[in-house]
Amino acid sequence: MDNILEVHDIHTNIRQYHILQGVTVSVPRGSITALLGRNGAGKTTTLKSILGLTPPSQGKVIFDGRELRGMRSFDIAALGIGFVPEHRAIFRDLSVAENLKIAERRKGDLARKQEMIFTLFPDLKRLIHLPGTHLSGGQQQMLAIARALVPDNRVLLIDEPSEGLAPVIIEHMIAAIRQLSADSTVLLVEQNFIVASQLAESYVIIEEGRSVKDGKMADLVNDPQTIQRYLGAA
Amino acid sequence: MPLIQSLRKNRTLWITLAVLVLLFVTAIQGMSTKDWVVTLLRSLSVGAVTFLVASGFSLIFGLLDVLNLAHGTLFMIGAYVGWTVYIRPDTFVDLLTPAAFIISGFVLGPVWKMLLDRLRLPQRVSRIWPWVGLLLAVAVLLVILPSYPVAFWNVAQYDQSPVTYGFMADQGQRIIPDAASFSGSPVLALIGLLLGGLLGTVSLAGLGRASNSGFESASGLKIPWFSIISYLALILIGLAAFLFNDSITQFLFGLDTTWLFLFAVVTATLSGAGLGAVMEITLVRPLYIRPIYQLMLTMGLSAIGIEVVRALWGRPEFVMPKPALFTGSGEGCPAETLSAWLANHCTTITVLGGRVRVYNEIVLPIIGVIVLVAVWILLQRSRLGMIIRAGVQDREMVEALGINVRRVFTMVFALGVGLAALGGALAAPSTGLSNGMGEHFLLNALIALAIGGLTSYPGAAVGSVLVGLFEQFIIKYGQIGIQLPFMAEPFKPTPPLVPASTVLLMVIILLLLPQGLFGRKE
Repeated sequence: MDNILEVHDIHTNIRQYHILQGVTVSVPRGSITALLGRNGAGKTTTLKSILGLTPPSQGKVIFDGRELRGMRSFDIAALGIGFVPEHRAIFRDLSVAENLKIAERRKGDLARKQEMIFTLFPDLKRLIHLPGTHLSGGQQQMLAIARALVPDNRVLLIDEPSEGLAPVIIEHMIAAIRQLSADSTVLLVEQNFIVASQLAESYVIIEEGRSVKDGKMADLVNDPQTIQRYLGAA
Repeated sequence: MPLIQSLRKNRTLWITLAVLVLLFVTAIQGMSTKDWVVTLLRSLSVGAVTFLVASGFSLIFGLLDVLNLAHGTLFMIGAYVGWTVYIRPDTFVDLLTPAAFIISGFVLGPVWKMLLDRLRLPQRVSRIWPWVGLLLAVAVLLVILPSYPVAFWNVAQYDQSPVTYGFMADQGQRIIPDAASFSGSPVLALIGLLLGGLLGTVSLAGLGRASNSGFESASGLKIPWFSIISYLALILIGLAAFLFNDSITQFLFGLDTTWLFLFAVVTATLSGAGLGAVMEITLVRPLYIRPIYQLMLTMGLSAIGIEVVRALWGRPEFVMPKPALFTGSGEGCPAETLSAWLANHCTTITVLGGRVRVYNEIVLPIIGVIVLVAVWILLQRSRLGMIIRAGVQDREMVEALGINVRRVFTMVFALGVGLAALGGALAAPSTGLSNGMGEHFLLNALIALAIGGLTSYPGAAVGSVLVGLFEQFIIKYGQIGIQLPFMAEPFKPTPPLVPASTVLLMVIILLLLPQGLFGRKE
C-alpha cells in the first residue's frame, strides 16, 4: 500500500527541550492512523512538526512525494493538509460562518462543500450566525473538523477529538470522522483508547519522543500486554 | 433577554460608563451652554486625532504583539511630510524621482527571491556578497544624491526656513522658490540612482536569505508579473516626475489649496504606509522571536526619527495653514448656519451660541468618525479583516489554515502607520508642527487604549473620546474655574493637572476593570 504521508526519524526541539527524538510514522492513503501514547509523549508535537509549526531539526517529512521540511507552515497547509488542533482553536470573535469562510483556499470552496459539511454536522447549519464563543464544547469540535473540510485537504491531522466531550457526542464524532475518512486520509491523536480502537486501522505508539511500536489496530486490541505497558490501563 | 443578560454580564462596564456620564453631566452644570458646546467639540477633535494614533497602535499590537513605540514619531513624520507637499510642492516633485527609483527595487522582492533560488551559490559566497553589495549601493547613492538637484529650504537661514515658508503661506503669500539645477550629467545621475536602488534591494534580499537559509518557497516557479509591472510603473512615475518637473510643480502651485491639502494628506498617508511596510519587513520581522529587542528597536527608531526630522526641518515649531475651504472671512462670518457656511467658507461657525473653528472642531471629528467606520467595515466585512480578527486570537491556527500570516502582518503594520501618518497630516493645521507633537499624542493614545482595552477597536474609540473630554474640560476649567462645595474660591486646575487628569481616569478605570472598558478577560 502506498503512503500519502511519511514521517521519517524526525527530531524536534522546542526552546532548549529535545521533544521528539526520532519519530517515524507512515500513513497509508485513505486510512485512519492513530498516534497513541501517554500524556507528554510527543504526539501533538509530531502533528505540529509535520505542519512546520514546530519545525523539525532532523529527519524527513514526505507528503505525496514531496519533502516538507524547510517549508513554511502556511505553504505546507496549502498543499492540502488540514489541522484540527487540541482544544479546537475556534476563532471566538468570528461567527460560525466566518470560521468556515476563513478556511477557504480558493473562492467558492465553502459553497461547494457546504452541503457535505451540513449533512455531516446538521447542528452547524442552525448555529451558522452565532459567534464562536457561544458554542458548546461538542459544537466547537464539530466546527473545528468542519473547518478542516472546507478546502480540498488530502490529509487531516486531528488532535484529541474526544477530549472533554460527553459520551453521546463522542459517538457522533466517531461516526463523523469515519464518514469523512472515506474521502481523505486521517492521522489521529487520541488519548481515549476505546475511541482510537474504533476508528483507526493502524497505530503508532510514541513514548518519550520516540516511536516505539506500530502495526494494525486489530492486532493491538488483542494484545493487552502492549496496551498495559505503553498506554496504561485500557 | 439577551439584553438583560449582557447587562448583567458586563455590570462593571455599564456602571463605570454611567458614572462617567454622570460626572460629565455635573461637569457641564457650572458652564454656560456656549462654553460646554465649544469644549465638547474640542474634546471630540482631540479624541479624533488620538483615535487615529490609537487605532493603528492597537491593530499592530493586537495582531503582531509589537508595542510600536515609534508610532508617535511616525505620526509626526506624517505631519511633516504633509506640510512639505502642501507648502513646498517643488521639493516634493524634486524628491519624487530619486525616491521612486530607489524604492522601485523593493517591489521586485519576489523576482529577487526567484533568481536567488535558481542561483545556488556556495554558503560562504552567499554570506558575504549581500554585505558587499549593500556597501556598494550605499556608496553609489552617497556619490549621486548630493549632486542631485532638490529645491530645499534652509534650516539655518531664517528667511528660507520652514518657519518663514509656513508663516508666509499662512498670510496668503506663496513664495515659489527657484528650481535647483544639475551640477553633473542628469542621465548619469538617473542611471546611478536606478542601479544603486537595484543593488541595494537585491543585497537586502540576499541578506534575508542568508539569515534563514534553507527556506524554500512553494511558489518558486511562477513569474511574479505583478511585481514586475509595479516596478515598471514606479520607474515611469519617476521618469515623468523628472521630465515634466517644472510643469508638475507649476500645476501643484497653481492648484486650489483645498485640493493641494487633500493631495498632501493622501501623500502623507501613503508614505506612512510605505514606511510602515518597509519598517516591518526589514527591521521588525527578524525580531518576532525576541519581543524585548523589538521594544528597544521601536524606542530607538522613535529617537532616530525625531533627530532626522530635526535635521531636515529644524527644531522651531511652525504652522501649516488651513486650506482655502476653511479660511473664508469678511461679511457673513462667522457663519450662523450650515448654508451660510457653505456660501462663505468661514473659518469659524456658530454652534448653539459658541464660536468654533470649522476645520478643528467640526471637520476633524467627522473624519475621525469616517475612519472609524471605514476600518470597522474593513475588519468586519473583508477577508483581510477576518484574518486580522482571527489572527489577534490565534496566529498559529491561521497559519495552519494555509494563510500567509506574515504578509498580513506587513499589511497591518502599513495600515497602522498609515493611520498615524494620516492623523499627523490632519492634525498639523490645527496643532502646528513641532518635534514633540508625536510624544504627546502617543501618550494620549496609550492612555486611551489602556482605558478602552488594549486590543479592542471600539475600546480605542471610546478611550480616545474619554481622553479628549478629560483633557479639554480640565483645560476649560483652568480658565473659568470650577465651584467645588468645600472651597470658597472656584478651583482652577493648573496646566500640569491636564495630563494628570487623564492618567487619573486611567488608574480609576483600571482599578475597576483591569482589562479596560472593552478588553477581554483572559
